[in-house]
Amino acid sequence: MSIVTVSELQVFAGDERLMGPVSFALGAGETLVIMGETGAGKSLIAQAILGVLPNALRMEGEICVNGRRVDTLTPAERAAMWGHEIATLPQEPWLALDPLMQAWRQVAETHVHVAGLSRPQAQHQTAKDLVALGLNGTEDRLPGQLSGGMAQRVAFAAATAGRAPILLADEPTKGLDSDRRDRVTRLLAQVPKDGGTLLAITHEASVARALGGKIMVLRKGVLVEDGETSSVLTKPQHSYTRDLLAADPVEWEKSEAPPRGDPLLIAEDLTLGRGGKILIDGLNLTVHRGERIACLGPSGVGKSTLLDTLAGLVAPMRGTLCKADGLGSHAVQKLYQDPPAAFPAHVRLGRSLQDVATVHRTPWDQVEANMVALKLSPALLERRPDAVSGGELQRLSIVRALSANPMVLLADEPTSRLDPITQKETMALLGQLTEQLGIAVVLVTHDRGIARAWAQRVLELGPQPEPSHSG
Amino acid sequence: MTQTNPFIAALAQRGLQAVVVALIVGIVSFAMMQALPGDAAYRIAAGRYGYDMMDAASAELVRQELGLDRPFWAQLLQWLGALATFDLGQSAVYGTPVIDEIATQLGYSLLLAAGAVVVSVLIAVPMGIAAGLRPGGLVDRVSLGISILLRAIPAFALGVVLVLIFAVQLKLFPVAGFRGPQHLILPSLTLGLGLAAVSNRVVRDAVVEAMDAEWRLFARTKGLSARLTLVRHVLRNASLPVVTYVGVQMAYLIEGVVIVETVFAWPGIGHALVHAIFGRDIAMVQGTALALGLIYVALNLVIDLACRAIDPRTRAT
Amino acid sequence: MSDMLLSNLQTARWPKIKAPRAAGFVMLAGLAICVMIGPDLVGQDPAKQSLLSPQERPSAEHLLGTDHLGRDMAARLLSGAQLSLSLALLSVLTAGIPGTAIGVLSAWYGGWVDRGLGAFADAVLALPGLLLVLMLAAIAPGSWWALYAGISLTLWVEYYRYSRQRARIVLSSPAVEASRLLGLPVRLILLRHLVPEIGPGLMTVAAFGAATAVTAVAALGFVSVGVRPPTAEWGVMMTELLPYWREAPFLILQPVACLVITVLALHLCVGGLHKR
Repeated sequence: MSIVTVSELQVFAGDERLMGPVSFALGAGETLVIMGETGAGKSLIAQAILGVLPNALRMEGEICVNGRRVDTLTPAERAAMWGHEIATLPQEPWLALDPLMQAWRQVAETHVHVAGLSRPQAQHQTAKDLVALGLNGTEDRLPGQLSGGMAQRVAFAAATAGRAPILLADEPTKGLDSDRRDRVTRLLAQVPKDGGTLLAITHEASVARALGGKIMVLRKGVLVEDGETSSVLTKPQHSYTRDLLAADPVEWEKSEAPPRGDPLLIAEDLTLGRGGKILIDGLNLTVHRGERIACLGPSGVGKSTLLDTLAGLVAPMRGTLCKADGLGSHAVQKLYQDPPAAFPAHVRLGRSLQDVATVHRTPWDQVEANMVALKLSPALLERRPDAVSGGELQRLSIVRALSANPMVLLADEPTSRLDPITQKETMALLGQLTEQLGIAVVLVTHDRGIARAWAQRVLELGPQPEPSHSG
Repeated sequence: MTQTNPFIAALAQRGLQAVVVALIVGIVSFAMMQALPGDAAYRIAAGRYGYDMMDAASAELVRQELGLDRPFWAQLLQWLGALATFDLGQSAVYGTPVIDEIATQLGYSLLLAAGAVVVSVLIAVPMGIAAGLRPGGLVDRVSLGISILLRAIPAFALGVVLVLIFAVQLKLFPVAGFRGPQHLILPSLTLGLGLAAVSNRVVRDAVVEAMDAEWRLFARTKGLSARLTLVRHVLRNASLPVVTYVGVQMAYLIEGVVIVETVFAWPGIGHALVHAIFGRDIAMVQGTALALGLIYVALNLVIDLACRAIDPRTRAT
Repeated sequence: MSDMLLSNLQTARWPKIKAPRAAGFVMLAGLAICVMIGPDLVGQDPAKQSLLSPQERPSAEHLLGTDHLGRDMAARLLSGAQLSLSLALLSVLTAGIPGTAIGVLSAWYGGWVDRGLGAFADAVLALPGLLLVLMLAAIAPGSWWALYAGISLTLWVEYYRYSRQRARIVLSSPAVEASRLLGLPVRLILLRHLVPEIGPGLMTVAAFGAATAVTAVAALGFVSVGVRPPTAEWGVMMTELLPYWREAPFLILQPVACLVITVLALHLCVGGLHKR
């Protein structure tokens, strides 16, 4: 028997259709993955099932849960199902946990008030849950003291403590690095094995692959392809699905190594730290003209500190950094993780670019040529940073950095906030242009796929010093 | 880094503030003394012995005794030294020890302050919650309009208007002074309305923020009822910015006490301060200003402690 | 003090003109015009007593009537407006320009400069502002200069704190880091990053500061420790006219209305409610 049935679901904002129509039926022990880029309307499906669509939106179609039609129920009746019949995993676990309440209490209160356990039972069960999730030692912490991965697991325990058979997970791996992502994915994959029903929303092919079951691929709210996850991911029929899958860095073509030039930056025996804590000990690194190096490692390992040191923004705790002769004071430039934060917010982009070109006496023709090479329309120059998409803005920041005629470009997770397809395009264009101009790039990333495919050398940074290997 | 107990740190910070208050009050009072026209020795001698009994010789005795012929900084140090030993001197007008005067006035001022806080809480909390539950609704817009208008009326002008309406026109409450509980109503209302004008908006913003928070929706979707979510999560989170803001309002409260007491001839410290400034009674100015400053510091300390009680994050090390 | 105020101001941007804000500007402009050309139009000496015609109702000769000493109310109100507004404007300027400048310097240099200035600002704020103004005014009773100095001394702290706090955030942002790496001169960093970020907030601080100054002058006048009679000042006028409310209620309400309108205009033109 099917647990969740959705027929001809559509969501409208006024007359404009944002999503749909989609139909599916899910039984116990089954999984449905909904995949697509940001803005594809994926979240609207989960919101419609739960009954929390924003007031401005209107839905059509039919939703049944456990054989009962729910879309016609009152908000109070739908709310009564939460926790008991449907559990929800939040997108931003940090924001979803009460900032003033200890982690274990937020789990225990579900056991008491939803599952109806007595207080001692609930405490016992909470302790068991947290140990099973590898969270022992974090019971008394407040959400602000948890890492993103921990917060997601605490939220998982709190959401599922009411023993609801259906779990909705909307982008459960957002913002997590690959180790933590795999951990959360394994947790979700366990739900159908235990007889539950899982509906997961993601834009990451690796997450979809690990969850299995059925998949629906959405593009701008429209269903482009569905079927068994394994067959859709291996033999996609629709071109959009193919693009989406090809955008996964694991699938990227390995770029060819351009000839390595003279050394530009030589770091010897660098020891770096923040706030007195040593992050990187005894690092040796030489950046050559025109080469691409990737620094790979989980968050908090000192990747960004390394970039700041190479840029001359922070001094190393020990060791030396030598610049090649003839390397001007602005020859090392940087690209930022969050492109809107890297531009003056109230200034037209054209003016920001002009300022740099004027200071460095770069002819405007050259700026325009770089814009063409990066497929940027001149019309963007009239806008402010908040009126331009993230992908365009990151390419504009490449143009801006190039206007200072750099020899080394330091890129700090430049595409981690972008959609997979945009990410692939941006990295490809960055590669082409820097290769043409013979600029070295040091890329910081937490994505092994990008590091392997895009760079010629990978510098692995880990909490325990590992031997760095060069390729 | 060294770990300091945050509780001790809060106490130390407010303690330091109290010392700074005493220093400022002492120095300004000393400057007031220096700025008085005429020979200080003659003035003090006249104060002690009466104008008829005073002559150049007695003035000279006073000068020797108090060290008025010593350099400026030595006198300042002596002045501050007296302050440090809580020797506030005698009122030039009443001839009584300043500390006794303040002791009787303190109760009245605290009564007025408490009355004002009660009035503002009674108005601001229900109004703020009603406005915050339906942002953009009728209650919200009306309360915003009233708040802006009330905020634009300075406390003493509001006092005058309330006196004209309630005491003089409607004869509901007495105009001034203090002879019974009914005298408390108009002054507390004056001060309380001024406080509520802004704090109801702070309550409203806190409620809106808490209701929009993702943790509230998550508490609901994990199965807690609306009531449980309110009791267990919303109230505590929403009260934090409100209590923090009450700390900000303490400056308004102390300023208001000074002005409103004067408007209503309320026998408290603020009225005494204004009176002493008018009468050039410097010992009283120093004593009352010091008392008000220290009350301000103490109230802020209470707010600090309340915030710590509500917010476990400040306790975590 | 200012955490709440600061968080309130952080959202401030160059204003989109809305109806209440437009009303504020119109009221303010009206006040300014009255102060500048009003005295000539009224054509009366604010100090000239006429004991034969006290508490007269408004007439062609005395547009707003006369007070208990037969002085022309319109002329006195305008003279009070001149006093309050000029003092407010001056103290906003003398507090605002150095306050902002050292706030930005404090953020730019950090270190002991920052700590020293921060400690000084904390010391000024150790007492409620009006209490400090009251005591400073008491050193030289009735003096315009003491009032002005006291108000400026308490007002600069807010500019300092606001500009320092915002400038610290702006100057440590990736956007400024990028501009520095790109070699932009200090002038451009200030112009492109700092000015647009702190400009609107400073306008708000200035308008509320002016309102605070106007209120303080009147409050001190009202409790007889500020400007002294016979100077025409709104607070002093309220004290003087209060005993005559029964015979002539329209008289006492005039300075009250002037004060409320001025404060309201200043509040409205920067968006209404100052949370402090």
